[in-house]
Amino acid sequence: MKISRRGFIGSTAAFAGTAAAALDVPNGSAKKAPKGAAKPQPKKPKSVPLPPEPPLYETADGRATPSVMCRRVYLDLAGRIPTKEEAMAFAAKPDVKALVDKLLAADSFADYWSMRFCDILRVKSEFPINLWPNAVYVYHRRIRDFVKRDERWDRFARALLTATGSDFRDAEANFIRATARRTSDGYAEAAALTFLGWEWKDVPEAMRKELAGYFSGVRIKNTREWKEEIVLIEGRDRRAEFADRMLGEWRHDFVGAFVKRVAWWMLGRKEADPEHVKTFVDGGMRLRPLVRSIVLSPEYARGSVKGGFKLRRLDAEVLDDAICSLTDAKRDYQSIAPEPFTFLPKDRRSILIEDGSITNAFLLLFGRPARDTGLLSERHNEVTAKQRLYLFNSGKLFANLGRIVDGKEYRRQKMAAIIEDLYWKFLARAPQRAETKRLLDNLATRKTGRERWRFPRDVAWALLNSREFLFQH
Amino acid sequence: MKPAKSVIELWLWGGPSQLETFDPKPDAPVDYNNGLKAIPTNVKGMTVHQWWPELAKCGHLYSLIRSMTHPHFGHETATYLMQTGRNPGGGDVYPAIGAVIAMMKEKEYSGDLPPFVILTSAKGRFSEVGFLGDRYAPLVTGGNPTQARFVVDGIVPPGGLSHEEIARRFDLLSAVDTFRTDAKGVFDDFDAAGTAARKIIEGSAAKTFDLAQETPETRDRYGRTWIGQTLLAARRLVEYGVPYITVNMSGWDSHKRHFETMERRTADTDRALAALLTDLDARKLLDTTVVWVSGEFGRTTKIDRDPPWNGGRNHYPRCFSALVAGGGFKGGCVVGESDATASKVVKRPVTPVDFLGSIYERCGIDPDGPMPNNAGKKLTILPPQSKDGGRLREIYKS
Repeated sequence: MKISRRGFIGSTAAFAGTAAAALDVPNGSAKKAPKGAAKPQPKKPKSVPLPPEPPLYETADGRATPSVMCRRVYLDLAGRIPTKEEAMAFAAKPDVKALVDKLLAADSFADYWSMRFCDILRVKSEFPINLWPNAVYVYHRRIRDFVKRDERWDRFARALLTATGSDFRDAEANFIRATARRTSDGYAEAAALTFLGWEWKDVPEAMRKELAGYFSGVRIKNTREWKEEIVLIEGRDRRAEFADRMLGEWRHDFVGAFVKRVAWWMLGRKEADPEHVKTFVDGGMRLRPLVRSIVLSPEYARGSVKGGFKLRRLDAEVLDDAICSLTDAKRDYQSIAPEPFTFLPKDRRSILIEDGSITNAFLLLFGRPARDTGLLSERHNEVTAKQRLYLFNSGKLFANLGRIVDGKEYRRQKMAAIIEDLYWKFLARAPQRAETKRLLDNLATRKTGRERWRFPRDVAWALLNSREFLFQH
Repeated sequence: MKPAKSVIELWLWGGPSQLETFDPKPDAPVDYNNGLKAIPTNVKGMTVHQWWPELAKCGHLYSLIRSMTHPHFGHETATYLMQTGRNPGGGDVYPAIGAVIAMMKEKEYSGDLPPFVILTSAKGRFSEVGFLGDRYAPLVTGGNPTQARFVVDGIVPPGGLSHEEIARRFDLLSAVDTFRTDAKGVFDDFDAAGTAARKIIEGSAAKTFDLAQETPETRDRYGRTWIGQTLLAARRLVEYGVPYITVNMSGWDSHKRHFETMERRTADTDRALAALLTDLDARKLLDTTVVWVSGEFGRTTKIDRDPPWNGGRNHYPRCFSALVAGGGFKGGCVVGESDATASKVVKRPVTPVDFLGSIYERCGIDPDGPMPNNAGKKLTILPPQSKDGGRLREIYKS
């Protein structure tokens, strides 16, 4: 530890003196720099104006720059920020199409998007859904398969609607069980919301009755196996009639509900563009063609400064994974879900948690959805004072940030190189010259060894607390 | 009577036995009371179990309810009912009373700390905030008040930074954080949250958790135990003005070895609770602070001596007891009555809805008033009070 401290103090001190001269090119004032710098330092090669830097976030006509696109696509398709290596590889060869195809084929796409579908299908073991742990895992696996194999949504929806059998063995039967109210009314409410996007409060009374009628035969019974339940039918099973109407008369809403959700997740607006609808239907009601076409659309390529791309705070799980992977931190999952207790390895990524009832303080703080209703509004992506307080001040987080910067990797590195490395890791881009300068100016105001030693960690801390890191932009 | 400003909820997680707390039955058969006694309090006719000697000295400060009743035997469902006043199910997940009071009192509260604070860990099995959203989610302190320094993660900057060092760090942040957008309002909550968070860091809020500012005598009076120091922290939060403070104390789910557990638990809690009530009273804070003590239910009254329980009591919601003090509630009263073994309510049943409704009323909140929600539903804060009992008007100070 002592060695690394000394290393920092030495290198930062050496560097701070010359930093301003070497890097000072603020906002287009490059012409001034040679005048002041050239005279007193004869040894130095004659300063030439450095070439102008490419735009940081978006081009003059409002399109996102490659580094922004890279981060955006990783966040939407893999549910994580790109690593430094991935970001640098993309910067060297910014081919969005190739990146999209690579990420759509990867397991991480199935992982992340099954999390989203589990949100709307209410996959949790506990109150008020009470799927219980075994059924959660069976159901989650089935949903992940749906995404992984790019199955048709209309077929999957019909299967979920009409399934019967044991929650342990017949995964699709869990759709019926995953409802807060286990009555024909409650099943109809869940089906209307999940497949047609109808919120129960907006459904007229007569229609509610009609919808509930399709589920009047559904029963759920316990077996002698602990927490096993059977979905069965008494009398006539009319659920297939619901499915027929859903895919016939109500087809417009059925397709619209799916497309709206995807548009919400990727573009931040709940609208079903005719073009997206067409893509979805022409693609055989499969997820991937729709996602691919959205990512490659001009709208998705807009910048977020002037271009109008909707900024949104990273999802709780994604942010947790980003912070943990950057700091190599371990998580403390609370698994006080009902028995049988579930224990997750501490390095399990948050987007992989199958059960909405298993959580940790971070996920609670950052608004992970409770999976009680299946409404998209259950996910809270607003920023609260408690969240910022945590990110500013958490002792555990600060200790973990120390892991990044106190390791071997940074020993005897020049401070500018450390800054650049941290920018790549946190923001998937290199810092601009003016940014590096501003940071080194801050270093120059630090008088004590302790505070200088803390500088790299404070840079990581500042990056973590920045808009650019916390938002998908 | 002015409405109460703050509430301290002492939540005895697991369901404390009514017999060994506030509804002792010294005349019942030994299979019910294990041969243990009741002791008189300083209020004539009011007794508590023999394990609460300190509380017995200040009976004039609190009232006991011996006729709490509801139908839920499971921890989760019973807790949900006791915290929200609602039966589980029906598709809506209601917020706990703490989040509702935080919301309703937000305007008159000017502190930097969030209006709802939990010491020291959340209940966990259900969401305190329900459909209200993160804005009213509690600040869960974590940390341990019995340690030399009660570290509330996030409140006190790590590493013992000076004010200047903190300022330089925030300078560094503004040097890094330069992303802006033309889109209106996107960063409004981000900026407001940042300002609020910095106020907590740079202002006096953090001192609230600094128990070292109390005299050693005061700290001793509460007891140097988890519950003692935690209730002391709760009192400091009341002084700061926080509208709702929950103290979640676990360890009351005494299926096995009930009496050993209870004797230990009650000793710490008796001392701490009595210290809190007398301290609030001495500081003239009791009239503006509701203190309530309960768990999600009581326990079965006949002692289960068979293995594996070996002298245990199980979940029992049909008849249990609670304590309420301050905030415009009278002291020295007993509400309701149970039968000879504390198994059945025989007089003036009090449902969770009646109980919570009384706390809302004493805080100046109409429990029949509208409950704000995002779903556009017409909801009330609580369902109607029960017809045979109703809210605790008989112990309201006028």
